[in-house]
Amino acid sequence: MRPVSSEFLVLKATALFVLWVLLSGSFDWVHLVLGGVLSFTVAWINSGHSPFVPKFRLWGNILLYLPWLFLRIVEGSLHMSKLILNPDLPIDPRLIRVEPKLGHRSAVVLLGNSITLTPGTITAEVDHDVVPETLIGEADPDALLVHAIDETSARDVTSGRLEAKIAEVFKNEERSL
Amino acid sequence: MDILSVLFILAGLFFLIVAAIGVIRLPDVFSRAHAVSLTDSLGAFLMLVGLALHEGLSKNNLKIIAVLALLYIQNPVITHATIRAALRAGLKPWRRRPS
Amino acid sequence: MKTFFFLVLLVLAILIGAYLYRVLQGPTIFDRLLGLNGISTKAIILLVLMGTVFERVDMFIDISTGYALLNLVGALAVAKYLEQKGLP
Repeated sequence: MRPVSSEFLVLKATALFVLWVLLSGSFDWVHLVLGGVLSFTVAWINSGHSPFVPKFRLWGNILLYLPWLFLRIVEGSLHMSKLILNPDLPIDPRLIRVEPKLGHRSAVVLLGNSITLTPGTITAEVDHDVVPETLIGEADPDALLVHAIDETSARDVTSGRLEAKIAEVFKNEERSL
Repeated sequence: MDILSVLFILAGLFFLIVAAIGVIRLPDVFSRAHAVSLTDSLGAFLMLVGLALHEGLSKNNLKIIAVLALLYIQNPVITHATIRAALRAGLKPWRRRPS
Repeated sequence: MKTFFFLVLLVLAILIGAYLYRVLQGPTIFDRLLGLNGISTKAIILLVLMGTVFERVDMFIDISTGYALLNLVGALAVAKYLEQKGLP
């Protein structure tokens, strides 16, 4: 049993309680008390999963990062629509390797999610030990395997633009891998 | 307000139609996943924002935004799980033959 | 306005047919899984739209939230199962 971090417990219970109020939509004291008790219980039962709590400044940075990501999504969607509607279907799918130089586990998760959310690129493999070597040659210890639809999308990832932005979001955190 | 909502919904519908064409046209499961992710990210966003604008200022707007946030969190996870399962099961991605 | 929403509803239903073709036809089982995922995303939008047409968004939005949560669990379970089992 891991030690329960009280900060994380309170954060999780609050998030669940907000969701409860949003879904029930009524402000009777019966509903509020029932929701409070239930959300605290659920948060306490599975509080041993992840000890990582983002600091307040990090939440702000992530919120500021989201509009930038949305612009990338619009860009990728337009490019992808152009590819699909072209009668010749000029796609050229490929698997590429990305080696993130991020010193934080959550940063790698954010990078993988952002890559998948952008149309045109999908994170296909994150685990280090089970990368199929027949597909990409020699396995690399820290590589993300990304499936890209064509040259332009692949360059979007390999140019390191996304990675630099995420490194900026996480620049005040200490390393943890 | 209604004009804006109609514009948003029509734009969303365009992306949904393009994604459906892509799901039928593209050659293998890896490239079809790109087309599905087109719907998930931009199409759903535009449609739901258009519907929220038509709804006006009310409690339902918050719920629509909650559904949108849920979609944005869960769709990358599901796509990644499917693609990883396909890759680990030994499926080879389709390559364009050098002409 | 109501006619417009009804037409959009109709187009969405036709689009679900396109995904259904992929589910029934798809060469591998992962194509079928992907098609089901696309259908569920469209079903969520369809439910909210239906609430707008019937002017009961408060009821239908709850159904769509529940559908989204169930879809996440189901899709992950099937994907994990197929990953361990490999291609049939």
